[in-house]
Amino acid sequence: MASAARLNTRTDAALLAGCVVLSLIAIALPSDAREPISGALRRTIVAPLVGMQRGAERWRSAWATSDARQAGADSVAMRAVNAQALVLENDQLRKIIGLGSRLKWGFVPAEALHNTTPSEELVTTLTLTAGSTAGIQRYSAVVAPDGLVGTIQTADPTMSIAILYTHPDFRASAVTADGETFGMVYPHTSGGRSAETYMLELRGVPTRVTLKPGTVIYTSGLGGVFPRGITIGTIVQELKTSEVWTRTYLVRPAVSPSRVTSVLILTAQRITQGTGNVWGATVNADSATRKIAAAGDSLAKQAAVLEARARMAALDSVRRATIDSVTRALGVPTAPAVKRDSTRPDTTRPPRP
Amino acid sequence: MNWTGAVRTIIVCAILIVLHYTLRPLLAWHASIDFLVVALLIGSVRLRPGTAALYGFLLGLVSDSLAVSAFGAAALAMSVVGFAASWLKAVFFADNLALNGFFLFLAKWLFDLIFLLVSQRASGAELAMQLFVWSPLSAAVTAVAGVVVLSLLKPLMEVRTA
Repeated sequence: MASAARLNTRTDAALLAGCVVLSLIAIALPSDAREPISGALRRTIVAPLVGMQRGAERWRSAWATSDARQAGADSVAMRAVNAQALVLENDQLRKIIGLGSRLKWGFVPAEALHNTTPSEELVTTLTLTAGSTAGIQRYSAVVAPDGLVGTIQTADPTMSIAILYTHPDFRASAVTADGETFGMVYPHTSGGRSAETYMLELRGVPTRVTLKPGTVIYTSGLGGVFPRGITIGTIVQELKTSEVWTRTYLVRPAVSPSRVTSVLILTAQRITQGTGNVWGATVNADSATRKIAAAGDSLAKQAAVLEARARMAALDSVRRATIDSVTRALGVPTAPAVKRDSTRPDTTRPPRP
Repeated sequence: MNWTGAVRTIIVCAILIVLHYTLRPLLAWHASIDFLVVALLIGSVRLRPGTAALYGFLLGLVSDSLAVSAFGAAALAMSVVGFAASWLKAVFFADNLALNGFFLFLAKWLFDLIFLLVSQRASGAELAMQLFVWSPLSAAVTAVAGVVVLSLLKPLMEVRTA
């Protein structure tokens, strides 16, 4: 029993000694000799453990960088939103610059600050960053590249407040592109329907006139507040009212108040002298167009008349020649009353000796 | 130790080895848990000292294969720790969690001591810092983790007492 225990103890000691010796040999091995052994272990027994360690480290790095990546994604999203806003603003500014270059003079550029409170459902006023020191007066017209925005209600030295076409006090005299139908534009009360929140009404259109949907209406220039030819909007449909002698139409405004960030305020002198065809309106050019069309029509008519006369003259000549030959063949004496065509040589008689 | 006990011990050691290569990199603590030492001790106390030394040697080789610069150092340290754990279990080891924790702490510290001295990775103040600051911290964390593991796996384990 004691000898067996001694044997076990010796065996244990031998095993320990062997392990220690092998370990020391491994430590003492040159790196060239170590690498094949450790490489073989990594490729065989330790390979699954290496794979698990690699996966765990990936998880670790993914977890460690998740906040940074989330922050990066948030930054990218924010930049994308800002870029979209910048694109829209740039587009508006380009349009404003284009409008300014078309107007050339008589306007004051201003930024539009939206002062809508959360309780206010409808944008009816705008604060503009230009005031009376820049020449802005009450009732100066406020325009955007797309058309009419509103009118100045209060002009302080450095800023002013404009009422939009959605304001209950807003009125504008309007005319269709052909310049034949007039009316008065009022803000449309939607009655709670959000789809018609920013709509207008064209009232006072004579009953005999029917406007088709899509007809563009412009300021008429009557009243002296707005010059002629600023785009107001397009006809959407006729509204049923109690009026008998006039029609009322629903108008979709050309300008969306929520998107207005930059505007031009027309000076009084410019309003007096008009804006011309700045908004592409055919209101001012319409009469000239009609005159050109009428002139074209008259020329065509004259050409048609001349052509008809020439055709009649040719037919007369043929008819006379036919009658002469028939009468000569039958021996019927020709009436002396018939005059010959003095301008043409008489080829029917032999020449005199 | 009967066959059932041996299989259970092998399963527990395998789980601990897997944890060493999955949970440890995931935690990435500076004073990290050494699940291999826990696996070594859990196995060694159920083996004869010589066999425990061989078990430690093999476990150390696995560890060394991923640390080429110190190839053999972990094998030597684990052989010694395994042999010592198996030899001393009859003297000190008891079915007491606090004692087991202390035993784990000592084993890990001894392992780090041998490993750092043999591998010659550090010297001077850095070696002292490793031996007396980071190694005790790592040993403490390993002891706590070992105690938790032993508590969780107690129903599965069948500790052989002397």
